[in-house]
Amino acid sequence: MKNKIKVYRAMKDLTQEALAQELKVTRQTILAIEKGKYDPSLELAFKIARFFGVPIEEIFTYE
Amino acid sequence: MKQNTFYLLVGVVGLIEVGLFVLSVRLHNPLIITAGFIMGVGLLYVSRLMITDYKEDERSRLITQEAGFRTLEVFWIIFFAVSLGTAVIGFSTPLGIPRPRAIPHDFPRDGVYLGYFGVIQMILLCCIAFLYIGFRIYYAHKYGEWDTDEE
Repeated sequence: MKNKIKVYRAMKDLTQEALAQELKVTRQTILAIEKGKYDPSLELAFKIARFFGVPIEEIFTYE
Repeated sequence: MKQNTFYLLVGVVGLIEVGLFVLSVRLHNPLIITAGFIMGVGLLYVSRLMITDYKEDERSRLITQEAGFRTLEVFWIIFFAVSLGTAVIGFSTPLGIPRPRAIPHDFPRDGVYLGYFGVIQMILLCCIAFLYIGFRIYYAHKYGEWDTDEE
């Protein structure tokens, strides 16, 4: 699964640590998601999409 | 409580358990180490809940679950096989019924060396810890635990 978290994070000028704190996860989790090493749960994926104010399919793409 | 304080506590509890084990052997009373061990582990479980500087999330839980499951998957076969062997020793009597024994005067003496099975169990349980650590390292690496980036 691909994602655009890094892009949206850059648009909001957020660090991984700041995003992690907002989503109540660790920085390593954000990093692992961005690198495609870990696919988040549906709940976390929705949280991320809601945080950036976009539909979930805008951030996550299934390949 | 800080995470390092917890690790210190683990060390202290471990030393106390060793002391209780020696005491149990000397007093020929297995209840001391059995009860002491349960209390020690209980104390550590409660203390673990008080750690403030450790953040657990769904990825770290997944790593723990995967490592725990794989460890169990491998370990139960070895443990069951050894247990079966020990059961054979225990039941290797006519009609497969354990021989009735008189109450030993110098407890614990074991005519069929079942007591040594406890030692084998302990060795195996030490192996399970290493097996778990190995699986944990593997899954932590797989799910990007030690990855770094430009930030």
